[in-house]
Amino acid sequence: MPPLNYFVVESPDAVGREAYERIAGDVLQDLDLIKVIDRLHICVDPKVPIFVAAGLLRHMPRAIRVSDFANVNPGEKETVLDIADETYLAPLLQKLWARFGKENVDQPDRFTVVLPKGVVGDEELEGLVVADPSETLYKDVIYALQYIAPEGFKVRRQYIKDGKFYYVASEDTLPADIVERVVAPIFERMGVSL
Amino acid sequence: MTTLVPVTYKGGVYRHDEIMDLIDDLGGYIVQKHVMAQDVVLQSFVPRDDIDLIREIAKPLAGQVTEAPLVGTEIAVVSPSLEIHHLPHTACDIAEYLRRSGAKTNMVGLSRGFGKRIANLNDEERDIINEHDLAVYALGTFEECIQQKFPVLRRGIQVPIIVTASPDREALMRIIDPPVEGYVGGIGRIMHRFKRPEELAKLDELVDEVSRTLDARRDALARDPLSVFPPRLMAIIEERIHEVSMLTHPTPVTAQMEGLRVKLPYDPYAPAIRSLEVADGVTVGDIADVTPSRMRNYILIRIKPFSETRILV
Repeated sequence: MPPLNYFVVESPDAVGREAYERIAGDVLQDLDLIKVIDRLHICVDPKVPIFVAAGLLRHMPRAIRVSDFANVNPGEKETVLDIADETYLAPLLQKLWARFGKENVDQPDRFTVVLPKGVVGDEELEGLVVADPSETLYKDVIYALQYIAPEGFKVRRQYIKDGKFYYVASEDTLPADIVERVVAPIFERMGVSL
Repeated sequence: MTTLVPVTYKGGVYRHDEIMDLIDDLGGYIVQKHVMAQDVVLQSFVPRDDIDLIREIAKPLAGQVTEAPLVGTEIAVVSPSLEIHHLPHTACDIAEYLRRSGAKTNMVGLSRGFGKRIANLNDEERDIINEHDLAVYALGTFEECIQQKFPVLRRGIQVPIIVTASPDREALMRIIDPPVEGYVGGIGRIMHRFKRPEELAKLDELVDEVSRTLDARRDALARDPLSVFPPRLMAIIEERIHEVSMLTHPTPVTAQMEGLRVKLPYDPYAPAIRSLEVADGVTVGDIADVTPSRMRNYILIRIKPFSETRILV
């Protein structure tokens, strides 16, 4: 059972309710999303048929900048980037190549990147945004919900913004007012408005 | 006539050939040999009276002989799709557990087995499932969905079916009409590996259900025996058609309860198999139907019963 602040699974089918509680727990654990999701409410009714998952995210990770994983050492003729953590090295190189051209970006070894003096200011370089983990986090959360939902429920509507998310899926066409009618009351029960 | 019983031998690679020779000398058959690093697993049929002898000879080699009710059977594990919703857990865990009991399992992932309204079974899937001795349907969670889609998923299936799903056994018996051969409740969509005692108990229940169903079929076969015991025909094919030894499949010739699947292309090899002499003047073509399999371009041999051929090899 995940240690979320609010975790409810509703279903008219008692066996199904229990199974989906376990499925949701396993999926969130597998995808390492338990720390990210704060509240989660799931409703499944195979008779309608409909699957609704709505919830809140705990906090969004901030954007990763050069200064987070590298030291910028200004020299007389060149600026040397000393990479401490390789995780974001590939996106960093992509950004540098795109901005300054490959001829200006030298990488003498794995943990060093050298730029000639004058192409960019040191502070500007330190503040350069390399990656935004929240972008992939959105995808991860939606993927998790897609994974939890019954497979036959292919018609879906999803939303993730400002720490709130919902995922509505069905086998049949979804009614236009499904969000107002079904999702909004769930958010109200969690004490927030959509 | 000695009764052959299905057993599994587990032991080390060291001197395992002695055990293989022993089984051969006793008149038994090795259906599958599996070498994993230092270990060897032999799925075989041995005479009932000689099990103790094999145990005794295997003792200094630290080999174990256990009864394995599913040796010599080929079972289809049918999953509604190959999506992450149904795999790897449930379907693969079921297949793995059945293999431990000696069965050869094949996974059949349906192209459109999901969704209660849109689920269907195409002719290729139907024919492939019908080529097995038994089909295990690994279904999902909701009674409503199972009730609605199972009649579609079983359409045209003639082999015995065992259904596993989340609702309990009684609920499954209530919603599935006409009844199938076996039911195991409590195994639905499970997103983790089966490792808890209650989950493993469910898998044991499934093996019991499968072996009960297959035993019933074996009893029926005993009343009208096959013209040749499939593992015997398998031994003959392996000995006489040398191309079989060059195949890299784990089971180049797969034994079934009433036939064999030979993993050689049909067109070039079917005539050779048909004309293969099993005993004096009796060819495979006399006692069996050699047909193309729907699985790749393999050969499927269906052995005819004694009542039809009046031949018993």
